[in-house]
Amino acid sequence: MLRVPCPNCGAEVLFRSPALPSRVCDYCQTIVVRRGQSVEAVGKAAVLPFDVSPIQIGTRGRFDGQGFEVIGRVRWGWTDGSWNEWLLLFDDGRDGWLGEAMGQLMLLKERALGDMRSNAINALADGKPIEVGMEAVLDGEMMMVADAREATCIAAEGELPFPAPVGLTIFSVDFRSPSGACASLQREGEMPTLFAGRYVTFDDIAATGLRVIEGWRVPAFGG
Amino acid sequence: MATAPAPAAEEIAPATKALSCPNCGGTVTLRAAGYTVTVACQYCGSLLDVANPDVRLIKKYKEAVQELEIPLGTRGTLRGVEWEAIGYMRRSEGGAYPWEEYLLFNPYHGYRWLIANRGGWSFGEQLTRTPDWAGHTIALDGQNYDPFFANGRAQVDYVVGEFYWRVKVGESVATDDYVRPGFMLSREANNEEISWSLSEWMPPKEVGKAFGISALVQPWPPLPHQPSPHGRAVKTAAKIGFGMLALMLLAMFVFGSSASLFRGSLPVTLDGTPQSATVGPIALNRSWQIVNVSARSPELENGWIDIDYTLVNRETQVAYQAYGVAERYSGSDSDGPWTEGDRGATVKVASVPAGTYDLVVEYTGNRWGGAGYYARSEARSIDLQVRRGGVFISNFILAALFILAPLIFIAIRHMGFESARRGESDFASSGSDDD
Repeated sequence: MLRVPCPNCGAEVLFRSPALPSRVCDYCQTIVVRRGQSVEAVGKAAVLPFDVSPIQIGTRGRFDGQGFEVIGRVRWGWTDGSWNEWLLLFDDGRDGWLGEAMGQLMLLKERALGDMRSNAINALADGKPIEVGMEAVLDGEMMMVADAREATCIAAEGELPFPAPVGLTIFSVDFRSPSGACASLQREGEMPTLFAGRYVTFDDIAATGLRVIEGWRVPAFGG
Repeated sequence: MATAPAPAAEEIAPATKALSCPNCGGTVTLRAAGYTVTVACQYCGSLLDVANPDVRLIKKYKEAVQELEIPLGTRGTLRGVEWEAIGYMRRSEGGAYPWEEYLLFNPYHGYRWLIANRGGWSFGEQLTRTPDWAGHTIALDGQNYDPFFANGRAQVDYVVGEFYWRVKVGESVATDDYVRPGFMLSREANNEEISWSLSEWMPPKEVGKAFGISALVQPWPPLPHQPSPHGRAVKTAAKIGFGMLALMLLAMFVFGSSASLFRGSLPVTLDGTPQSATVGPIALNRSWQIVNVSARSPELENGWIDIDYTLVNRETQVAYQAYGVAERYSGSDSDGPWTEGDRGATVKVASVPAGTYDLVVEYTGNRWGGAGYYARSEARSIDLQVRRGGVFISNFILAALFILAPLIFIAIRHMGFESARRGESDFASSGSDDD
């Protein structure tokens, strides 16, 4: 764990894991990147637009027997909307993402690209078009491309594995299986990264520490 | 669902965001900020794009906004969760068969749909998994759904409020629907995606109570997935009816099981002389019983014996009477030899209370005389047997009818409902195999 003053405003910024070298200063939205024991400012994140997401930094939950805490978020936008990807730090030190779009939640962890067999991977690497319905096999299960689009970073907060400046553009391909499993290929630059997991509900992940939204009762999930 | 204790100092986030309509200037309340992509202004109906921080006018309208049965912003609790109506769509099958869909939102539970069709209501959720084909039906979570509507085309005719996608009036999707009692699985597909949703039929009263709707109607024909109101009654009536029949059979078996009480032989002459005999004691040790008395004259030929029985309680002198006849004739004519009648006669005395009885048997034997009757009776004796038990089949059938009549009545109403419901299906056939 590393505690340092923000190079821009001097407020304390905290790095919990060497695997997550980037974070957004809670006070001045400066993107601070860790280089060994020192840090440097690499730009500014935008202020997050208002939303009624019940997730917040500090929200906790459990997935496959492991507890986790929400420590960061990237808000992505595309031509027809936007969604949140919340960074989760699991108790074993690994991380994962809780995608939140259209009122549905997807919990994904990074996987080796070789775990998935799909023409979409080659197409993505070659810059060829990805079509909805293209097939993939992951863990013996057939999946299909449900969606392929370019997304741009709108804003970010907290700790992140990469700096997420406004305007950072990635290409994202989402896969779904009949059983509710899902996967996402994300390419920024050369090689795509694979994330895989499944749809969950707040009840499934026994979410606690959710944001209190005015006029709504916070349910006791997973009880 | 219990409420999680909120730390006292917890920051409370606002639930809504206000923006002004670029067309009419009215204040539009965003109730699902961050998720909502399109808003149809609640005053002028103009479509606004709120996907980006700057609100953009997509399509200008200047229409009187239609009054809704559930005004947007209304909250109601369905199945233990509070929901707020935030969007409304009127859809139809190419302009015909219109129905309405309310988009419901709860920040902790996401989105649901409240669908109004001809006054019937359904509560729907988009699925994150897809059903599998199982023969002619499709299966989800171990339940089978029968095809009901096929190759439909649902278009959007009118929208107001907010939506998490770019909703457009006039756009359409291909639809297919599958049902099981109480539930409908719907598939909607366009060029970009296929989505499945599961909706549950809701009793109109439940929706009316939740969202303050007073004018409730019962749709007829019923909705495709509306469970028959008689379905449960049929099951209950069947359970009770068959249960009672089983009890009756059991009672008949227990109380009607036969046991021999007396066996003996009486002398008889076939000359028309009244004779009598008293047999006993006959001990009846059950509270109530049926007493069978059978008489048989093995050598009887061309003669008959009239038998009167009187079962007399030794203590109370109460008497139970019965009458029987044994007869047997034979001969020969142009068709050959023939026989007629029964050498035995069995009579039953019902509901005889416990006690020690004597059986008084008064009988008269007669011989049939005349030309053509060759065989002469050699009858000399009557074998008499007294047994406890025996069953009145006719009584049983009558009781069964009484017990099953309500079941039959309810079953007929149930079949009427089901046939009206199925009649709406694209798969309805005249010779449908009802279950």
